[in-house]
Amino acid sequence: MTSRRVILSSLLALVTGTLLLAGSSAGQQVDKPASAQTTNSTIHSAPPAAASAQGDEALRVEGEKRFHANCGRCHQSPHKFPPRMVMTIERHMRVRATLTDEDMRLIVRYLTQ
Amino acid sequence: MMLSVSPSSANQARLRCVAVLLALFLVPAVFAQAQTQGPTLGQTDPNSPDVILPELSAVPIISAGLAYNTFFQGGTPNLHPLVSPVILIPLGQNWLIESRDTFEINLAPVPGESGYKGYLQKEVDYLQVDYIANPFLTITVGRYLTPFGVYNERLYPVWIRDLQSDPLILPISTGPSGAGTGAMLRGGFKATPKMEINYATYFSTLSRDTPFDSDRNIGARAGIFLPGPRLEVGGSFQHLLQGDRSNAFGFHFAWQPPPLPLDIRAEYARSDTGSGYWIESAYRLSQVPVWHDEMRRVQLVARVQQYYTGKVVDPDLPGVNTNMFEFGMNYYFRDDFRFVSSYGRQFAPGGGNFNVWTLGITYRFVLPVGHGDIQ
Ligand code: HEC
Repeated sequence: MTSRRVILSSLLALVTGTLLLAGSSAGQQVDKPASAQTTNSTIHSAPPAAASAQGDEALRVEGEKRFHANCGRCHQSPHKFPPRMVMTIERHMRVRATLTDEDMRLIVRYLTQ
Repeated sequence: MMLSVSPSSANQARLRCVAVLLALFLVPAVFAQAQTQGPTLGQTDPNSPDVILPELSAVPIISAGLAYNTFFQGGTPNLHPLVSPVILIPLGQNWLIESRDTFEINLAPVPGESGYKGYLQKEVDYLQVDYIANPFLTITVGRYLTPFGVYNERLYPVWIRDLQSDPLILPISTGPSGAGTGAMLRGGFKATPKMEINYATYFSTLSRDTPFDSDRNIGARAGIFLPGPRLEVGGSFQHLLQGDRSNAFGFHFAWQPPPLPLDIRAEYARSDTGSGYWIESAYRLSQVPVWHDEMRRVQLVARVQQYYTGKVVDPDLPGVNTNMFEFGMNYYFRDDFRFVSSYGRQFAPGGGNFNVWTLGITYRFVLPVGHGDIQ
């Protein structure tokens, strides 16, 4: 009986903790990748068109990095797919591989550009 | 696992308690989602992480893993064709319906007759609805692959596994046919810039309806992933809510040292039905300077495993203490198509020493239902 209570309460604590974390960050922004932050600061110091091209490139590089860090962990890194398939595959992998939201977004961006 | 259930009122009370707890988890999760619905896809708030997602709708997908393996166990060939279709139906921005079935035949020669005989086996591996409630939480309901250890969820498909035989400890705590029926909360998030945490908690009900059989249990798995060194360590825990109400736990480890084309993976599991571990390393010869175009397609694999019996008998696990080593060589025509081969030797008392050879091909395809490209 006692051991079961311990298990249930630790599970409760674990899940409540997660939800609190989710709740407390609601409305705030999720940590942005370093390159995305660079993007914002470069926007002010360079002409708009060049800045966004530079920003796009930084995000692409970061996306490629995340792709290589994550997508070959369980199986061989897959080849590229058409954009609307990428949207589905990434959602599937996000759930299955418990990828972070940020990784998923950067990788989707990289694979659909 | 065939464990009997005593349907007492205490059990029902406990089940009710678990159901209430589950409801308690789900309600705040849905609220959390309501709050986190910030800018949607395609909006141009430069501070929103959402801005980096393209404005595209996801298309349903049919994918499948296929294999045609021949196992030579103790000299007798067994043919093993298998197809495992996966269906993915995305709904809106946050929902996904996913399922996988497996159809396989084990064709063996019948003594005294010519030819091979076997029968078709069909399994519903999973059939689940996922709801991405917020960046930290996904809620899954239905029949799901039990997240005890990582092999069952991450490495099981024939086109993924580097050696075609299952690890000996795979049946430990993954339930009959590897799945649970119930609900699961899971997700991954960045804990520090260099560390990610992933978790899965689940509750499964008892079902004896083939092909949907599952045990009644509750469990959790958590892992820490360091993207720099590409290293993951984690642990699993499960409490059975039937039979002997025992606990089980396990550890997993995966490392892909970045400069090398090397995968090192290991798992340990312990329960009333037995304990054991496996360690596997797989190396792609892409750094060999000669015949580079051929060599980079070759993968060498080695696995060592040990299993020790427990106090409860599980027909899916070996009946005696068993050791095994295997060597494999795979040749990748593409990332989704390869030739596989292996040699292994099993050591077990009472006539359990024999060689196993495997030869085969594995393939995976992914097809959109509709247009995959932007129209
Ligand atoms: C933690 C392990 C893991 C990681 C990391 C992972 N995958 Fe997968 N992937 C799987 C498994 C397991 C399957 C097989 C799904 C099945 O059969 O149910 C799969 C299937 C696929 C498929 C086949 C279609 C499908 O959705 O089933 C594609 C394509 C794919 N993954 C791409 C990716 C990409 C791109 C990434 C990086 C974002 C990635 N994977 C990261 C484990 C992983």
